[in-house]
Order: sequence, then C-alpha cells, then structure tokens
Amino acid sequence: MKTRKFELDHLLKWQNTLDKCIRCGYCYEHCPVFKHTRWESDAPRAKLIMLYGLLSSQLEPSEYMAEKIFSCFNCQQCVAACSSGVPITEILKDARADFAGTQFDTTGTTSITGSGCANCLTCVRACPHDARYFKDGHIVTDPVLCQSCGICMALCPNQSASATQTYGTDRIYLKRMITDFLQKRGAKVIVFGCNWSYYPDMQSSSYDMESSSYLSVYEQPDTEYKILINMCGGRLKTPLLLDPFLENAWGVLVACCPDGECENDGNVRAAKHVKRLKPVMESLNMNPDRIELVQIAHGDKAGFQNAIDKFMDKIRKLGPLTDEVSMNEQIRDAKSHI
Amino acid sequence: MKTIDIPRLKEIVGEHNVKDNPADLFIYGSDASVHRALPWVVVRPDNTEQVQAILKFADEEKIPVITRGAGSGMCGQTVPLHGGITLDMKQMNRILEINPPDVYCRVEPGVVDDDLNLALKPYGVFFPPTPASSRAATIGGEIGNNASGVRSVKYGATRDSLLGMKVVLPGGKLLTLGARTRVEATGYQLHKLIVGSEGTLGVVVEATLKFVPIPKFRCLGMANFDRLEDAGHAIADIMSAGITPSMLELVDNVAIKAVNKTMNLGLPDVEAVLLYEADGMVKEAVDYEINAMKSICAKHSGEGLQSSYDAKERAKIFMGRKKLFPALSKFSELHASTSLADDMAVPYSKMAETARKIHDVAKRNNIIMTAYGHCGSGCMHTKILMETTHKDQWESARRAVAEIYEYVRSVNGTTSAEHGIGLSKAAAFKAEKADSLDIMRKIKKAFDPNNILNPGKMMDAPDDWVTATDLRYMVED
Repeated sequence: MKTRKFELDHLLKWQNTLDKCIRCGYCYEHCPVFKHTRWESDAPRAKLIMLYGLLSSQLEPSEYMAEKIFSCFNCQQCVAACSSGVPITEILKDARADFAGTQFDTTGTTSITGSGCANCLTCVRACPHDARYFKDGHIVTDPVLCQSCGICMALCPNQSASATQTYGTDRIYLKRMITDFLQKRGAKVIVFGCNWSYYPDMQSSSYDMESSSYLSVYEQPDTEYKILINMCGGRLKTPLLLDPFLENAWGVLVACCPDGECENDGNVRAAKHVKRLKPVMESLNMNPDRIELVQIAHGDKAGFQNAIDKFMDKIRKLGPLTDEVSMNEQIRDAKSHI
Repeated sequence: MKTIDIPRLKEIVGEHNVKDNPADLFIYGSDASVHRALPWVVVRPDNTEQVQAILKFADEEKIPVITRGAGSGMCGQTVPLHGGITLDMKQMNRILEINPPDVYCRVEPGVVDDDLNLALKPYGVFFPPTPASSRAATIGGEIGNNASGVRSVKYGATRDSLLGMKVVLPGGKLLTLGARTRVEATGYQLHKLIVGSEGTLGVVVEATLKFVPIPKFRCLGMANFDRLEDAGHAIADIMSAGITPSMLELVDNVAIKAVNKTMNLGLPDVEAVLLYEADGMVKEAVDYEINAMKSICAKHSGEGLQSSYDAKERAKIFMGRKKLFPALSKFSELHASTSLADDMAVPYSKMAETARKIHDVAKRNNIIMTAYGHCGSGCMHTKILMETTHKDQWESARRAVAEIYEYVRSVNGTTSAEHGIGLSKAAAFKAEKADSLDIMRKIKKAFDPNNILNPGKMMDAPDDWVTATDLRYMVED
C-alpha cells in the first residue's frame, strides 16, 4: 500500500496547548487503557508527552508511537479529569490524522475489517461517526473518524469487524468479570454501565469532601451488585445479557444514555437487545422483570444510584433464580438460538 | 551513556516488564516538574525479590536507580538526572493486610492513595495524608516525599501515619524498620528517616500505616476579606485559639480573578478568601469549632460568612478552590502554569505577609504568581504563570524564586512543606540546611555507598535549577 510522508500538519496548532498540561497525572486512573496495562506510556499524559517529543523533534515517529496514539476509546474521562482543561482527545484525533496513511499507520483500538466480511454494509450504515465506508471492493475504516465505540463489532453478523487492541473492554473480558463477581458470596446482580453516560464522573470521586455525594465504583460494596463498564450500551449483545443468569445472577440491569443523548445511538440498540430478551426469558419461565433497561443522563450519579437501589429492591423480592427454574441447560439452549 | 545489560533485567522481571523504546524513555524522563532527563531503561518489578535482584545488579554495575510511583512529583524527584534504571513501582500495588483491631494496614508501595482509602472505607477508617493528587499518587511516592494535603493541619503528613516499612538497600539487603505499634522508642527511627528521602536511601517495598476513623460530621465555612492582612490575622488567631480545623485554606485575589475570568463562578472580587472546616464524631463539637472560626473571621472583618454540613453545599463552597488549576491554565493563551517555589511553609503570623511578598516579587519580575494553600499547616502554595517559550521569562522565574526563598528563610520558614526538594528547590534547601548537609551526605553514603539511588538530588543537586536538566518546554533562544 502506498504511504504518505509523515508530516505534523494537524498537530502543529497544539504546540502551546501541550505546555498547558501540568503533568499532574490525574488522568491516569481514569483511562481504561492505562488501567488495563498499568504502564505510564499508555496513560493520556504520556501520549501528550510523546506528541510534545514529536513536535520538538526530540522523538522520531514510529509504529510503536502510532500504536499508542491509535489506542484510545474516546471516553473522554481524561478530559473530564484534566486539572488543566487540556482537550486531550481532540489532540489525539489530530495526531491520528497525522499518522494515518503513513508508514507508521497502525490500528490500535480503532476497528478493522477482517476476513469473512460479506460486504453487507451493516457496519457502514450503523457507524455513528461515518468512519466506515466501501472502497475498492472492501469495507474500510477511517482511523481518524473512528471513535473505537465498537458498534460495528457488535453488529457485524460475521464477526469480521474487530480491533487489534481491546484493553479489557471486549466481551470475553466482560464475561470473565461476570463470572468472577457472581462466584462471590452474596452477589446477585450485574449492572452494565455505559462509559459515556456516568462513568467519568463516578470515577472522579476520591476520598475528599465531595465523596459523600459521589457514587464511585470503588465505594460500592462488592456484595450484591457489580457495575461493569461497557464502552457503549450498543456493544451489549443479547447473549452477553444472558451470561449472568448462567452464573446464577438474580437480575441484570442495563444502563445507557437517554434518547438523543448517545453519540453512537447505542442506547437504541441496547434497548432492542433488552426487549428481545424478555420473551426469551418468559419462554424459560423466568420473570422478565429480572432484566431492566434504565436511561440515565450524563453524569447523573444520584439518578443512577436510585435506579440501582430500586432494581435491587425488586430483585430481592423476586429472590434467587433457582427458585423459579433449573436454568443452565435451558439458558444455554436459548443462547444458542438467539 | 553506560551500556546496560537489558537481557539480565528481563531475566529478573520478565521480558514484558522492561521497556527501552525511545518513546517510553522520553515519557519516563518527565514528571510534574519543569525538568526532563531520560532513563536508559524502565523496569517494573512485581515483588520484593525482584527489587532485591535489581538493586544487587545495579549496585554491582554502579548504575543509577530512580524509584518512581505515579510520577506526579513537582520538583524533579523522579527525573533521572544521570540516566540509569527507572524503577516503576506501579505493579506492586497489593494491599497486604487491613488489621482493624491493631489499627494498621500493610501495603505495597504502588498502591494508589484513593484505592487504599476505598479499601479502608468499609471499616469506617481512612489513611489521612491524602494529597490533592490522591487519585494518582502512590503510597511509595507519598513516603518518598512526606506528602500531605488539605487536611494535614489536623491529621499530619505521611510521616505521622507511618508505623514501619520494609526497604531494600543497594546490594539487595532487605531491612524491616519501625514496628506495628503506635509508639516506638527502640533506637533510631530509621523508617522516619526514609520518609522524605526521595528515593535516595532505599526502595520501600512495604509500608505499615496507621489509619483513623472517618468523621461522622464535617462542616465547611467560608469568609471573604477585603484585605489580605485581615485574612492573615484570622489564620494566626484561629491556630492559636486552641481550635483544630480539619482544613484551613487561603485563596488570593490572583486566583479569584483567574477563576472568575475563566469559569464565571462569580466569586467576590476580594483580596482573600478563607475556607475553614471542622470535622468530628460529635456534631456539637464540630459546631463549636466552626462557630469559633466564624467569630474570629468576623472579628477580622471577614464578610459573606457561610458554612454547611451538606456535601453538595460544601462542594459548591469549595468550587473556587477546586477550579483553581484549570482556571490558571486557561488564564491566558500564552501562559503556562509551572510548579516552582510552590510549597514553602512559614509561621502563621507571616502568612499574609508571605502572600503579599509573592505578589510583589512576581510584579517586579514580570511574571504572574498566585498564592494559596493550606495555611492551617503554614503551607503556602504558588503557581508561576509564564510564557514558557521565552528565555527571559525563565530568567525572571529564577530571580523570583531566589527572592521568595530568601524571604522565607528570613521569617524562619522552610523551603518545602509537602512537595519535597528534588532538583527545583535544591539551592534553597542547601541554603536553609547548610549546617546539616555534611551529615546528610554521610547518611546517604552509609545507606548507598556507591551512590546509585537517585543520584544528584537534594543536597547533591546542581545549584541552578534552570540548567540542572533540559527544561521540558520548548524555550526559544
């Protein structure tokens, strides 16, 4: 493939802004990529330092560097946490624009099209960022526009849309988290929380004067429910929503953005999955109220907590799943037919 | 640069825990200070045995070792002045024991402060030093710098909460220091010596920390002062009145203007704002302290007095202080906020005069400085806003920093309250502690005869911080 010369066309305008980063490191613990690897080089601050190195000619561009630049879920938690108001994800987008199409072009968390693509254009139609298009007989991704939201991966009928790096946001990881949690004593409910709608603020809490008004994932008692962060509600597929029941969960709560507020329209898809699951549950003699979808506005932690509390009250009344049916075989069977 | 046996390091910690890509080295060459110098390799140990093996290897080869937590230090403590191995401790982040009956916990050094507090919360207790960077800062880094935060006025700094530790010396020897008891009079308190040693004496691999109960009641108050001096008098009166605030913060007019300009929070355009907080298990006791502080503020012409127990209200009152950093960053397109002369401590009676002095020095040297801080602990923070690409601004900053420290010494203040010395404050530190530098160097030699641990810092750092390393900014000639 023909490549273009690497130029700092888009990044140049950020030169002064990069100096605004006081390098406090507050962004680290908010970044899903850093939290997965625990290498500083994967933290948002590090990416800004790397870009500074490029702009000041102290670093040469490399594929290694490009891999870091293309590895970002655009969750903007770093931007929310930044003590200096640096628009980190905007800068990274321009960095991607400079790297894309050069010899250092890599894909990171952005989506790619693998073998088995039927050119059905489902992903092209569904992509909320217009990042997927048909070119020269293949479906390709614009790595600058792609926000790594994963909608295409969730929808692709052939599992051809994928990413080379997932940093713990893939369904296999989520499944492992589900199993790990539900094996704990007293565990009852899995809550799927959307990264864009509440997680940034929830995680911003720390032990300080504001902690009592915050709902932090760390502050929740890991006894009855666990919030699993999915990058977008749209990535939740019906079989994944059934997985907790295979591990004897009493219920599943799916939280996503209100109508019109999801950048990816992922909430619409999440709602469809939940709606689709209810008759399946009924056919299994499970109370369909054991799964519920709630829409929570961005940053509304109190609303989220209220929704969880309400759901927990309901689930406690319903009791454990084993009282209703002997489930596993039937759920597995139902999953295979979804 | 010395050749380093990277395969040997990979044998010790595993291939995936060693990084020597130029991009990684560049990243690990910075912290939150103005400095930059690159390590030769970054190594991430997982356990004590690996740390011992690395320090044995490095001591034999006489390779510098720079221990690093979150890299959020503000004075260049983790910037490898002479290259070497950066020892990234973030992987050693296990909480080893929480022991409520004996009121202590044991943790590895890479545990993040907030994560420890979240683990302690179910027991109704917390680890109190809590610096502002607690979301990122590691316990190891807090020990290295004797970190503290807004509540140090009541709960003290890291040293006050540390009971003991395990530390690896160059050569790999493991020492167990301190005890698990509340008091100890068993010879030299070497664990207290390690606190604040900035990685120059040993590598902490385990810390035994005490914790305190989470207070049931917390009340935050605010007072506005037309004159900085009135706020200063209120601070001195509060601290000498037998009251123990859990927080006493000063915010100056430069900060207020910056917050109002960039955030439109509508703060009163006064010379100073005081934020005062009390906490405790009994509401009447908290009421008593809050009312006493309120009366003292009123006596010194404090206006707009308000206070609240409600978390949301408290967050609102604290908003101006909380938004200070982003406000300073957005203050002007051309200016960047730097950490220099940023955490001196002075006697209470000198707080207002110090803030005034900082403003005067800034004006004379054509830079912008704000003065704020944990005045209940005597700690005065500043940020210097300057055009970092201009060489003459660095000359101005150099002069301003020197003048401020000279003043701080003249009023019997100290160079650093909570951020440490590193490279940026070495000259002021050496001037302040001139008569004890020799004994400090001998202590360093006793722990680290080959001078491999964070060499060239504190008493051994260059006098001129501007040229000590490359500056991390693009400075035009």
